[in-house]
Amino acid sequence: MAFDYDKYLRLEKMPTLWCWGCGDGVILKAVIRAIDKMGWDQDDVCVVSGIGCSGRFSSYLDFNTIHTTHGRTVAYATGVKLANPDKHVICVAGDGDALAIGGNHTIHGCRRNIDIHMIVINNFIYGLTNSQTSPTTPRGMWTVSQKAGNIDPTFDACKLAESAGASFVARESVIDPKKLERTLVKGFSHKGFSFMEVLSNCHINLGRKNKMASAVENLDWIDSITMGKMKFDKLEEQEKTNFLPTGVLKENSDADEYCEMYQKIKDVHQGKRAKITQNDFEKKI
Amino acid sequence: MSLLKAPVNTPVWIDITKCKACDICVSSCPAGVLSMRKDPTSTLGAIIDVIAPDSCIGCTDCEIHCPDFAIYVADKKGDGFKFAKLTKEAEARAIAIKNNNCRLPLTYTTTGELIDG
Amino acid sequence: MANREIISTGNELAAIAAVDAGCHFFAGYPLTPSSEIMHTLSDRLPAVGGVAIQMEDEIASICSVIGASMSGKRAMTATSGPGLSLKAENLGLAQMTEVPLVCIDVMRGGPSTGLPTRVAQGDISQSKHPSHGDYKSITICAGNLAECYTQTARAFNLADRFMQPVFVLLDETLGHMHGKAVIPTEEVTKSEIKSRKQFDGKPEEYFPYGVAQDEPAILNTMFKGYRFHFTGLHHDKQGFPTEDMDTCRLLIERLFNKVEAHTDELEAYEEYKLEDADIMIVAYGSVSLAVKEAIRILRKENIKVGLFRPITIWPSPAEKIKEYTDKIEKILCVELNMGQYFHEVQRVSSRLDIDGLFKVNGRAISPFEIVEKVKGL
Repeated sequence: MAFDYDKYLRLEKMPTLWCWGCGDGVILKAVIRAIDKMGWDQDDVCVVSGIGCSGRFSSYLDFNTIHTTHGRTVAYATGVKLANPDKHVICVAGDGDALAIGGNHTIHGCRRNIDIHMIVINNFIYGLTNSQTSPTTPRGMWTVSQKAGNIDPTFDACKLAESAGASFVARESVIDPKKLERTLVKGFSHKGFSFMEVLSNCHINLGRKNKMASAVENLDWIDSITMGKMKFDKLEEQEKTNFLPTGVLKENSDADEYCEMYQKIKDVHQGKRAKITQNDFEKKI
Repeated sequence: MSLLKAPVNTPVWIDITKCKACDICVSSCPAGVLSMRKDPTSTLGAIIDVIAPDSCIGCTDCEIHCPDFAIYVADKKGDGFKFAKLTKEAEARAIAIKNNNCRLPLTYTTTGELIDG
Repeated sequence: MANREIISTGNELAAIAAVDAGCHFFAGYPLTPSSEIMHTLSDRLPAVGGVAIQMEDEIASICSVIGASMSGKRAMTATSGPGLSLKAENLGLAQMTEVPLVCIDVMRGGPSTGLPTRVAQGDISQSKHPSHGDYKSITICAGNLAECYTQTARAFNLADRFMQPVFVLLDETLGHMHGKAVIPTEEVTKSEIKSRKQFDGKPEEYFPYGVAQDEPAILNTMFKGYRFHFTGLHHDKQGFPTEDMDTCRLLIERLFNKVEAHTDELEAYEEYKLEDADIMIVAYGSVSLAVKEAIRILRKENIKVGLFRPITIWPSPAEKIKEYTDKIEKILCVELNMGQYFHEVQRVSSRLDIDGLFKVNGRAISPFEIVEKVKGL
């Protein structure tokens, strides 16, 4: 294929500072291919990244980029999007960034169903700061903040996003970057909050002390805990416990998008329509 | 979509300056085209090598899985390259390489198992 | 100068000023006693095509304001003491990335939950330095109803001029005070809008942070062909993270210099009956109104008192204060806190004999309390 990524990269910043074999690079390439497929003008795209290894994502991309504080990508992105509703805004955050410190903002981004595309790179650990437990670190694994073994239960990020109101929820992994690219295109094409969890390997932090010290071993482990949605749905409840379904898990194209709803508020205050009432909504509570 | 032009008669090529020797491309190749080789000057002591380009079937798994923009596969249409079909020998070599920590072993069976000793 | 009379509250006047000054984006969270600013803007901003949103918390408010401002729009938030504490980290990012914004702080009793519906002036120290690290704060304090309008409008221009957050302090008394204000018309305020500098050369020659050591960054509006990177890390002239020793040092020094080298553009104060004063009172905010009444009472008894009222609180009008403290014998600081500006007056005057009248019970200081204190000096 020999896809030419140069157009979308800040070449003077390469090579990436990520560890050898880090899934972040695979995701970076998939995002570029997906944006290329969308045909978006580079000037119309804003990428907002958080803190962590995934935080460096935005600095490599030749778009309008913002590297924010820990956990706040969705909040910053909400400001950019509401002030410029016709532009494309992508958030990239890690599992700690999006689900721990940033949990509240992630939840409310989903609730508002604002047209932002959020990519949560879940490598099951705090990588950059060296191996602390994250809300997705599997129980019983060794982390530096729980050397006796992790006792913290985990979030299912996609279930969280679904119940919080995101209208597009998907999960992929770096095991199948072509499938990841296709799902990213679906997410980018969706109008509303598109939440995409991408499982990634951090063999340097999570893997090293948990029996998967190489990229290949860590990737094999991710392969062993993921299963396509169709196959997953056929499992017994008990069997589902140790698998994460991949694919598009929720897609509702009819949900109200926040910027469009806000336009209605502008219309009310500019005298172009009557006040918004309960009758404007099917779901009244 | 903009594509890079492949070097003449080359199914797969590497940008050695970008390779971080993570083994992923080698482990993803079904045809044993790639292997790591010892290189004392590289950070992890190894670097990627295209050992059997004639076996390349053009699946692009190596290019797609590489995190570092280090390996590219020719385009069937754009470069007009004729890729090989997957042979039993290539498959065995691929399995042997994976069994040997992504480095081509000196000997292996016809099904890719390593031979002790 | 065309003027108009409005009967309103301090909070509402601040909101009206924001709209007139071209604010496009507001994000806030309910926090007494500042919520009315959000209520007013939630009607007025969408009416002119802007956006006013109630976010899920104080932090989301400041973050979305910074995001909107990064994209090139004038943006504002409003809060009180506890909210400012929550916003601290991201205010630091706005300082570091040199993103302009206006943050109104309607001060209330503190610390912590304190006295939500009662007045204090407890954010003088906090507004000087809410976030960690080194930077110079620009903080203004409105001293009467009209200033709730004029100083908010001024804050937007200062934010764009110096490319950083500007704090506008109201106290709860002023925020909720309902009365008559004579303020410039909407047309006048609009005509005085001075937007941030923009670079109009070739994109490959654009270096947002590659500016002179006494100048702020030049941040182009997003989505117009100039793509660059914002980061809270130390950064080079392109905005990319760096750890280079000289670049880092020069960056921090410039964050200071860009303000310190131009304090003449920032200075604003009121000198009230100080020409012949034997006693100088330093006060700001709604306290200054009580002080003026106290001065009227005292001068009837031939006690020559004057008021020095800083309007730009930070950077402080150090030279001017020193001019007075060098020649006036008795100096009295009257504040609704434990002496947060008192310390600055001490520092600037190099005098340890400054007197203080501090009230921290959530009530306003009456002119009579001030009269009594002055008589006892």
